[in-house]
Amino acid sequence: MYTPLRIDPTKALGDIAAFQRKLAAGMGHLRSMREPEYANTPRELVYSEDKLKVWHFKGSHKPTAKTPLLIVYALVNTVWMTDLQADRSMVRNLLEQGEDVYLIDWGYPDGADRWLTLDDYINGYLDRCVDAVRKRHDLEAINLLGICQGGAFSLCYTALHATKVKNLITMVTPVDFHTPDNMLSSWCRSMDVDLFVDTMGNIPAGLMNYVYLTLKPVRLNQQKYIGMVDILDNPTELENFLRMERWIFDSPDQAGEAFRQFIKDFYQGNKLVKGTLEIGGRPVDLGMVTQPVLNIFAEQDHLVPPDASRALGRHVGTTDYTQLAFKGGHIGIYVSGRAQREVPPAIHQWLSARD
Amino acid sequence: MADPANDFIRDYQTLAQQSWDAWTRQLLQQQQPQPVANPFFTPPPPPASGNDTLERTLAGLKGYFDWMQGAAANGAAAQPVDWRQQLQQLFGGASQPFAQAFGGIDSAGAEGFARQWQSWQQAAQHGGFGDLPGAHGPTPAFGQDREQQMKQQAMAAAVLASLQASARYQALIQRSNTQAMQRLQDKLAERAEPGRQIDSLKALYDLWVDAAEEAYAEIALTDEFREVYGEMVNTQMRVRQMQQQQTEQFCQQLGVPTRSEVSSLGERLQALRREFRASSAPATEDHADEIMALRRELAALKRQFASGSTAAPTTKKAAPARPATSAVKTSVSKAPAKVARTAVASKAKSSAAPSSRTSPRKRK
Repeated sequence: MYTPLRIDPTKALGDIAAFQRKLAAGMGHLRSMREPEYANTPRELVYSEDKLKVWHFKGSHKPTAKTPLLIVYALVNTVWMTDLQADRSMVRNLLEQGEDVYLIDWGYPDGADRWLTLDDYINGYLDRCVDAVRKRHDLEAINLLGICQGGAFSLCYTALHATKVKNLITMVTPVDFHTPDNMLSSWCRSMDVDLFVDTMGNIPAGLMNYVYLTLKPVRLNQQKYIGMVDILDNPTELENFLRMERWIFDSPDQAGEAFRQFIKDFYQGNKLVKGTLEIGGRPVDLGMVTQPVLNIFAEQDHLVPPDASRALGRHVGTTDYTQLAFKGGHIGIYVSGRAQREVPPAIHQWLSARD
Repeated sequence: MADPANDFIRDYQTLAQQSWDAWTRQLLQQQQPQPVANPFFTPPPPPASGNDTLERTLAGLKGYFDWMQGAAANGAAAQPVDWRQQLQQLFGGASQPFAQAFGGIDSAGAEGFARQWQSWQQAAQHGGFGDLPGAHGPTPAFGQDREQQMKQQAMAAAVLASLQASARYQALIQRSNTQAMQRLQDKLAERAEPGRQIDSLKALYDLWVDAAEEAYAEIALTDEFREVYGEMVNTQMRVRQMQQQQTEQFCQQLGVPTRSEVSSLGERLQALRREFRASSAPATEDHADEIMALRRELAALKRQFASGSTAAPTTKKAAPARPATSAVKTSVSKAPAKVARTAVASKAKSSAAPSSRTSPRKRK
C-alpha cells in the first residue's frame, strides 16, 4: 500500500539548510536594494485642489483618440497601481494604444479631511476634475475609467452628471455588494460603523491593510514571503516584489465621513442596486447611465467577486453594454503579463469604436 | 544511551536557530534609523515597529522556519506505519504555522487588542487612575469620585466584553485550523499513488496552505463569523472610545486642546466650504434636480420607444447569463487573438439584441 507522505528526513534537513543558505545569500541583495520606483511615466499636473492632483500623461506619440480618458481610482491604496513599472503599466499601454490619459491622484487624507463626504468626493472633487479636463479639450463630455471603488464613484457620477460623460468603463467595480461570496461585505455588515468612525476618525491605512491581509491570512502573510526567499538572488524579481510591497502598504488613510457613508450605503445597505442611494441629497439611479458601458472584472478577484461586478449589466440603463471577464485577480488585471496584452487593447478598441 | 541520530538533529536545530537569530538581529539592526546629528533636536526613540514590512516578513518566515524544524524533528525523522499519525506529528507541535500567520499580522495600524489593553492599563496607573475598579464586577459608587468610579467600572465591563468577543473570534480561527487539518488529510489521501506523493516539506506546506485557506474562507463567510467579527470590532471600539473620553477629560483639565474639539472645528469648516461653493456655483446648478428629472423621463420614453412598447415602465428583468459566444458582434470581440482568450460577453449594439434591454428599470 502506498503512502502520500514520502518525506526523507535527510532531505528535510537538507531543505532547511538550503532555506537558510538562500536567506543568508539574499541578505546582500536586500542590503543593496533601494526603495523601488514606480514606472513614473512622464506626466504634467493639470489641476490640483486640497490634496488632490490630476495628472496628464505624456506618451511617445500624440494621442489618436479625440476624447480624453480620465481614470478615477479608489480611495484605498495609491493610484500608482495603474503605472507600477515600465513593463507593467496600464497607463503606458493605453498611451501606446493612442489614448489621451488623465488620472486623479486623491492624495493622503489627514485630520483636515475627516469630514469629507461622498458628496464632496463625487459631486465636488470628481466633478471639478472632469470639468478641468473638459475645459482643456473644449468638450462637453469625456470618457471615464473607474477602478474598484472609483468605479462605483464613476457610476454615481455618470448617473448624476450624465452630460459630462461620453463613455464609461468600470474595472473590478463592486455593484451588488451582497453577493454570497463577498467576504468584506459579510464582515462589515454587523459592524456599528457609526461607532467605528466616531471613534477612529479617519480610518488608518494600517487597519485597512490588516483587514485585506485577513482575507487570505496564510497566503498573504506567510506563504508570499516564503516564496520571496526563492527570488532573493534575483535582483530584478526582488525589486518587482518590493515594489509591489511598497504599493500594498504605502496606502492612504480613509476620510472618516466618506468611509462611514460608503460602508453604510454600499456595503451594508447595498443601495446602489436597490436604487435607494442618494449622494448629496440627489438620488442615484443606475438606469440613468445611458452612455456606452464597458464593464471589466477579474474572474479570480477575492476583493470584488465577479458576480458583484457582473450585476452592473442588470441595472444600467444603456443599450450599449459590454462585459469583459479577465482571467486573473484584482491586482493581476493591471500588472500581469496577460493584462498588458489584453486589457489596454480591449479598452482602446472599445473606445475607438465610440470616439 | 545516546542516540546519535537524534543528537545530530538536536545539534543541527540549535545551530540553525542560532543562525536564524543572528540573521534577523543583523537585518533589523541595519533597518534602525541613524541618529540625527542636530544639537537642537533630539529624535524620538524608534517605534516598536521600526519596519513593519520587514517585521511582517520575518514573522512569516520565522513561522515557516520553526515549523520546518519541528516537522523535521518530530515527523519526518520518524517513519510511522500510518501516514495520518505522521501528519499529526508534522503539524502537532507548538509551532503551528497557522497561528504564526495570524499572530504576525499585527501592524502598528491594527495594534493587537491585548497589547493595547496592556498599554492602557499601564498608562492609567501612571496617570493616577490606580488599579481600575470594577474589573471584578460592578460595585456601588458614591462620594466625590463617584463619577470617576462609574466610568472606570464601565471601562472594565467594556474591556471584559471585548476580551470575550476576541475569545469567540479566536475560537473560530481555531476551528478553521482544525478543519484545515481535516482538509489536508483529504487532499493527501488523493495523493497516495506514485507520482503524486508529497516528498518535501515545502510541498506539504503548500498543500496545507491550500487546505487552510479553504477552511478559513468557508468559516469566514458564515453568519456566525459575521456576528462574531462585528461584535469583536464593536466591543473594541467601545473600549477605545472610553479611553479617548478619559484622555480628553485629562486634557481638558490641563488646558490641552482635544481631538474632539479639533474635529468639531474641522466639521464646521467643511460645512462652510460646502456653503461657499454652493453659493458661488452657477445658477444653472439650482435647476439640476429639475433637469435630472426631465432627463429621467426622457430616458424612460426613449427606452419605451426602442422597445416598441406603450406600456408603463416596469422592473427590468435580470439580464440572462451571457455566454462567451455572445461576444461575436461586439467591438471587443474584434480584439486581437490574444484578447479573445478572455470571456467577453456583450449586449449587442442597436438592432443586434434590442430585446435584451427594452424593459427599463422601475423608477422610484
